[in-house]
Amino acid sequence: MKTVLEVRNLEKIYPAFRLDRVSFSLEEGKITGFIGRNGAGKTTTLHSLLGLLHPDGGEIRFWGASLSEKEREIKQRIGFVSAGMEFYKRKKLKTISAVTRSFYEHWDEEAYRRCLAAFALDEEKTPEKLSNGMKIKYLLTLALSHGAQLLILDEPTSGLDPVSREELLEIFLDLRDQGKTILFSTHITSDLDKTADNILYIAGGKLRAEASLEDFVASYRLTEYTEADPAFDALLIGPRRSKNGKTALVRAADAAKLPWETRTANLEEIMVHMEKEAAEE
Amino acid sequence: MRKLLKKELTLCLHPAAVMMLFLSALVLAPNYPYAVSFFYLTLGLFFICLEGRENHDVIYTLTLPVAKRDAVTARFALTVLLELVLLALVYGFIQLRRRILPDPNAAGMDANLALLGEGFLFFGLYHLVFFPSYYRDVNKVGVSFVKGCVFSAVFVAADIVLCYTLPLMRDVLDTPDPQNLGAKLGFLAVSVAVYAAGTLLALRISQRRLEAQDIR
Repeated sequence: MKTVLEVRNLEKIYPAFRLDRVSFSLEEGKITGFIGRNGAGKTTTLHSLLGLLHPDGGEIRFWGASLSEKEREIKQRIGFVSAGMEFYKRKKLKTISAVTRSFYEHWDEEAYRRCLAAFALDEEKTPEKLSNGMKIKYLLTLALSHGAQLLILDEPTSGLDPVSREELLEIFLDLRDQGKTILFSTHITSDLDKTADNILYIAGGKLRAEASLEDFVASYRLTEYTEADPAFDALLIGPRRSKNGKTALVRAADAAKLPWETRTANLEEIMVHMEKEAAEE
Repeated sequence: MRKLLKKELTLCLHPAAVMMLFLSALVLAPNYPYAVSFFYLTLGLFFICLEGRENHDVIYTLTLPVAKRDAVTARFALTVLLELVLLALVYGFIQLRRRILPDPNAAGMDANLALLGEGFLFFGLYHLVFFPSYYRDVNKVGVSFVKGCVFSAVFVAADIVLCYTLPLMRDVLDTPDPQNLGAKLGFLAVSVAVYAAGTLLALRISQRRLEAQDIR
């Protein structure tokens, strides 16, 4: 399996935040979900990949080359969408598309028209006339129309209605089947349950996990209890109040040591308990 | 670069910048500081950069398959294009004025070839003031424009004052064409050289600053 993107010890230092030596890699033809709470460092990481932010350290290589070595060639092969970005709000979509189209060697007009139809986008409209969800759909349409082999998407499903989100997730799966690689950050962990092969989990600027979704989920169990027992406190990760008592995460290897029953945890449950644990550290 | 210039013209060119080109006709006004018409174009440039900020122009450009420095070159290309159109129009109005209103100008340089030289000089120096500041932080375009305004005010004031006090300007350059044509052509040539050097230097500094800048 080819490595599409390799990030080593990526650092970005702000007065109140530090992206701390983040390292990960993406394999061709995989969907990787990038999760973490607000301010964890997801957008900083993704924007650093594109050179929008200037890292203070580390190395980023796309298909073995750095952006400084082959910026134009690499960008031909990348599609980037970031929620909240609104380009040229008073220009018609067809004008923006015409300009964008002229830059790409492998622009696929058929794919572009297909996306416009699927997302019900009217080229005569301007971005300021679109809802937030439609704006994201338009940016995705551009990203999906130039034959990008790697899609870097910063919260692409935020603001989309459930039906559009499902449609988009299906498109992601189709793209993966075509051998495309997708890295997308999201707060909606159920989207990752449905699509992601791998998970990157970042908290407080540090990458806490890089694993396949199955391995990541299988490495934790969730337990529910009413009476806390100090003897088991060390095993519990991020205990939280729940409707009927408390819930906590436990490492799968430690699950048998607990007196309470455990069950499979989903991605959201893992994330919220780990965040609680990190906040209490 | 052709594609990027087309992008600048299609997506970034603010209508106010085009309107400012027509203020080159101020050369026809009697007793007016004609150097102000150069300043008006910088106002148009400010609108382009301001609207670019609102439209996330730099981010859009940097996600295209272009090098970061090319985004700067494209903005310079648009600026130079507008300036050359303005100066061509100014030259046209200078010729028209010679025919219909050949009186000297009491408020700064006459409408003559030396005024064209002042235009090149103004823009060459303006690039050095505005662009390196703008590309230090593209989100603070207002700060860069204020610096540009201060420079413009000093330039226009100096033009008016020196046309009365400096013998070279008062007696040689600030005269109706075709008087002292050789000296005016020499001044124009020097100004074009300053324009080219100032623009290239501003371009290099701006490219380096954008490379190092965090775009948000």
